[in-house]
Amino acid sequence: MNEIEAIIQKVRLTNRTALLEHEAKLVLKEMGINIPPSILAHDEEEAVNAADSFGYPIVMKLMSPDVLHKTDAKAVIVDLKNPDDVKHTFKDFIHRFENVKVEGVLVEKMVDKGIELIIGTNTDDDFGPVILFGIGGVLVEAIKDVVFRMCPTTKEQALEAINEIKAKVLLEGFRGLPAVNKDALADLIVQLSKLAWEYKDDILEMDINPVIANSSGLYPVDARILLK
Amino acid sequence: MTTKLERYFNAKSFCVIGASTTPNKPGNVVAYNFVNYFPGKTYLVNPKGGELFDTKLYKSVLEIDDQIDAACIIVPAKYAPQTLEQCGQKGVKNVIITTGGFSEAGEEGLELQKQMLNIMKQYQINVIGPNCLGLYSPALGYDTMFLPASKLKRPSTGPVSIFTQSGAFGAAFIDQLSRLGSGKWVSKFVSYGNASDINESDALEYVGGDTDTKMVLIYLEDFKDGRRFMEKAREISLKKPIMGIKANRTETGAKAGASHTAALSSDDVIVDDLLDDAGIIRVITWDQLEDCVLAFGTQPLPLGDRVAIVTDGGGAGVMASDMVSDCNLKLAQFSTDVQARLDQTFPSFYATGNPVDITGSATAEDYRIALEAAYNDPQVDSVVNICIPVIPDLDIQKYIAITKEIAHRKEKPFVTSLVGGEEADFAASELLEEDIPVFSSPGRAVRALGMLTDYTKYLKKRGVDPHSIMVED
Repeated sequence: MNEIEAIIQKVRLTNRTALLEHEAKLVLKEMGINIPPSILAHDEEEAVNAADSFGYPIVMKLMSPDVLHKTDAKAVIVDLKNPDDVKHTFKDFIHRFENVKVEGVLVEKMVDKGIELIIGTNTDDDFGPVILFGIGGVLVEAIKDVVFRMCPTTKEQALEAINEIKAKVLLEGFRGLPAVNKDALADLIVQLSKLAWEYKDDILEMDINPVIANSSGLYPVDARILLK
Repeated sequence: MTTKLERYFNAKSFCVIGASTTPNKPGNVVAYNFVNYFPGKTYLVNPKGGELFDTKLYKSVLEIDDQIDAACIIVPAKYAPQTLEQCGQKGVKNVIITTGGFSEAGEEGLELQKQMLNIMKQYQINVIGPNCLGLYSPALGYDTMFLPASKLKRPSTGPVSIFTQSGAFGAAFIDQLSRLGSGKWVSKFVSYGNASDINESDALEYVGGDTDTKMVLIYLEDFKDGRRFMEKAREISLKKPIMGIKANRTETGAKAGASHTAALSSDDVIVDDLLDDAGIIRVITWDQLEDCVLAFGTQPLPLGDRVAIVTDGGGAGVMASDMVSDCNLKLAQFSTDVQARLDQTFPSFYATGNPVDITGSATAEDYRIALEAAYNDPQVDSVVNICIPVIPDLDIQKYIAITKEIAHRKEKPFVTSLVGGEEADFAASELLEEDIPVFSSPGRAVRALGMLTDYTKYLKKRGVDPHSIMVED
C-alpha cells in the first residue's frame, strides 16, 4: 500500500469522507506537488519550534473532523508574526474548541500575496473525472471564470485551458501583479488530473482553492479532498 | 477493426420484417425503398404471406434459407421482442428497430426494452434504436426512413454524414437538405433513437473512419458514452470537421456539493468546454446547422482570420464589420498595390478601405473590380460579398455571373449575402443552385466564415495544415 492509499484507508476507518487539510496536502505532496512548509503540531512547543524553523509570518489552522468550514468557525488565524502570537493562538484554539475532536494544529508558513487561482476535480456522470481551472479565492462561485477538461489531462490541454479563461490578462503581469508561470501551472493541473484519474474509485471531488501565484512561485494554500 | 455500423452498411442481404401492403405505412415505405434501391438481396417478411412489389412475403424470417446480413424490424412494440428472438434464431446479427413505444414511453415500454436487451445479449445482436429512423445512404441504396418520399424528400449523395438522437430532428433536417442548393449533401445518416445498443460514440467512430464522409454533423441531447465520444472526437476532428447541436442546455447540473468545483460543475458548462477541447464546432440554433453545411460543405478552409468585405450598402457593411469582431475575426488590411488600384479605379465617393463600400452607384463591373481585388490579395483570407440589389445601375444577371465566376475558384472562402426582396431571392436561388453559399443577412454570412476560421484555428493549434482538410470537391 502506498502513502496515498494509506491516508485514504485511515480516513475511511474513521468513517469520514472528507480528508482534513493536512491529510489532503500529504496526498498532494505524494503526487509531487509543492506545498508550503507545514507541520501538524500537538502542543505549544511543537508549534513554536515549527514556526521558528519556517520563519514568520505563520498561519495556524485547526484540524478537526468536526470543523470543516474553518474560516467560518474562525479556525484559521493568519499573519502570526512571532512565537508569542503562535503560543497565544494555540491556547486560544484549545480553549475555544475544547468540545470538538481535534487532530492537531496545522502550523504553516504564510504564503506572500498573489493572484488566487483554483484547480479542482469532480466526477461527472457522463465523462468521469473532470478537472477545472480558473480564477479562485472566496469569490470563485460568483465569478465563475473556469474551464473544464477531462482527466487525465495532457500538458498541451492544460496550457490551452489556462489561456481560455476570460481573465487571462491577470496571468500575464496585469498592473504590476507578478506574471504567473504558466508552464508550472500546467504541470500542477496535469498532476492533479493524474491524481483524480488514478484514484477515481476513491476520490469524488477535490479543490485546491486558492492556489496562490506570487513572484516566487505557485502555492496550494488550501486543499480539500472528498471521497466517494 | 470493423465497426458495428460498417456491418450494417456493408450488408449484401437485407430483410424488412413487418413489410406492409398498405401504401405509405412505415413497413410499406421501407419495403419499397429496399426493393427499389438496395443493390443487394432484399427479403420481405409479413406473417400473412403473399407478395409485395413483385417480391415474395415470407411469413417469418425463419423461413428464409439465405443468410441475412441486416434487418429492419417495423412491428408494434409488443411484438418486437419475439421478432428479435426470431432474428437471433436465424442468425441475423445486425438489426434496426424503428418502432417506438419503449424506454421513452413509460413502465411497460421500459419492460419491453429490457426484454429486448436480454435477447440482444443472448444472441449477440447489434441493435440500432428502437424509436428511430435508422439508416440512410443514397449511394448505397440503403434507406430505412419509413416516411414516404412524397413527404420526406431525400437529398442525394454528398460529403455530409449526420447522426442524431432525435428522429424528428433527423427527418426535418434531411428534408431541409433535399432543397438546399443542389440537394447533393448526404453520405450517411444515422438516427439511433433510444440507443439501446448503438449510440453516439459508435456513430462517430463509424463516420470518422468512413472515407466518403468529409464532414460530420450531429444532434445530441445527452451522452450514452460521453468519455469515449470525446476521445474519438479529438482524433477525428483533426481529419474532418465535426459540428452540431448538443441540446438540453438547461442547467440541471451544479448540484450543491461540498467543494467549489462541484458547485461550478453545471452539466452544460462542462459539455461546452469538452466539446471545444475535442475540436467540435458547437452551434446553438437550427439555422446555424444549415449555414454549417453551406460553409463547410462548399468552401475551402481559410488560412487565417483576415476578412475583406465588399458591399453596396454602408449599413450592411457596418453590421458585417461588427460581426467580424464578434466572431473573433479581423478586417483585412489590403496590400499596398491592391489598395492603390482600388483608390485609382473608383470615384472618390466610394469607400475604398475595408469594407469596400461601392455605394448605391455600384455597377456589376464595380463588383468585379472590388471582389477580384479583395479575392486576389494575399493579405485577405476570406471574402464577404454583400449586395442589396435595389440600386438602379446594377445588372443583376451580370452580378450573378461575376459572383459565380469568383465562387468557383474556391481558393479561399467566399460567402455572399443578398439582402432585399424579389430580386435578392432570385439571385440567391440562382447562386445556391450551384452550391454557392448565400446567406439572408450579412451577419449570417460572416458567422459562417467565423465557424470555418474557428476550425482553422483549432487545426493550427494542433499542428495540422488546414489545407489538408478537403470537404468540397
